[in-house]
Amino acid sequence: MEERHLIPESGVAADQEPSQEAVEVVNRREVRLRPGAEEKLVLQFMDSLNSYLSFSHSLSSTLGQAWMELASARHSMGTARLNTSLLDLKFHPASTTLKIAECDDDSVDAKARFVLRKWISSEEVGEDEDSNSTKSPEPADDDDEVCYSQVRRERAKSLSVFGILIPPKLRAAQQSFERALETLVEMANMQSSFLYSFHQLHQEVEDTKE
Amino acid sequence: MANRAQIPTKSSALIAMIADENGKGYKNYEDTVVGFLLAGVGNVDIRRKTNYLIVDSKTTVKQIEDAFKEFTTREDIAIVLISQYVANMIRFLVDSYNKPVPAILEIPSKDHPYDPAHDSVLSRVKYLFSTESVASGRR
Repeated sequence: MEERHLIPESGVAADQEPSQEAVEVVNRREVRLRPGAEEKLVLQFMDSLNSYLSFSHSLSSTLGQAWMELASARHSMGTARLNTSLLDLKFHPASTTLKIAECDDDSVDAKARFVLRKWISSEEVGEDEDSNSTKSPEPADDDDEVCYSQVRRERAKSLSVFGILIPPKLRAAQQSFERALETLVEMANMQSSFLYSFHQLHQEVEDTKE
Repeated sequence: MANRAQIPTKSSALIAMIADENGKGYKNYEDTVVGFLLAGVGNVDIRRKTNYLIVDSKTTVKQIEDAFKEFTTREDIAIVLISQYVANMIRFLVDSYNKPVPAILEIPSKDHPYDPAHDSVLSRVKYLFSTESVASGRR
């Protein structure tokens, strides 16, 4: 009864100043008018934050394995054959890049979606790839066979910086770092998602205070 | 009403790296950078500018700040990976960054494991749960 009296269409009755308690009731009522959307945002925030933390633990584990494999490769190859002084500064584009797409959940704001494109040759840079997968293509038919051989070629090109005879541990390290990249891209997507939810909820809280 | 965040869509963007040299004594190895370069993320443009910075004992804080500012303003970079140990050196700059793209991801290094309590992005959203946690947890 008291709530109905204190919530006229204009928001505040003209002939009386609302008390602190009345304003809080009004504000709670305004928040309750959109319970579904707010709860959805909270759930989305919690889910994506939880996923982000899980991925970060997974990343630490993957990187630990990758560093171990790299150290083993360095032990067999020698320090002089595996360090950054061997990297040349000649022009070369990255073989592994990202595609940025925009996810529109509503008309107010948008969030970024990152898609990993692994081992794309320089000829394909700029083409619009139709893929949401972060994994390398597996040979299933002739076109995929071409993709798979291209992936192998690009991987070998990356390894060739450190010599011709490549130990298995260095190949294993390369694959571990690729897995780490996949995890990082998922982390970036989760970060984008929980930051988006956070900004929406923060705006909701600020609007409520006003 | 919140302003609409502009997400620059792009079909081919780079991953930048700012990683620290790890190792003890006279043998220092840049394993994180070497590893991700093996995975194909290394890019050198016509002006011989790279998309990575290796932080060693001779690298100054100013150089790290300049690299961070450069990578976060380049339009061809989508994600910036930065070792959390290096991010702590320029924490003020990392905290003040708030654009959606490029995304900043703090990663562990061999000698310095990842600590969620120091992550800039996580610290920002802790505010949602407690207004005191940001001030008390960041010393």
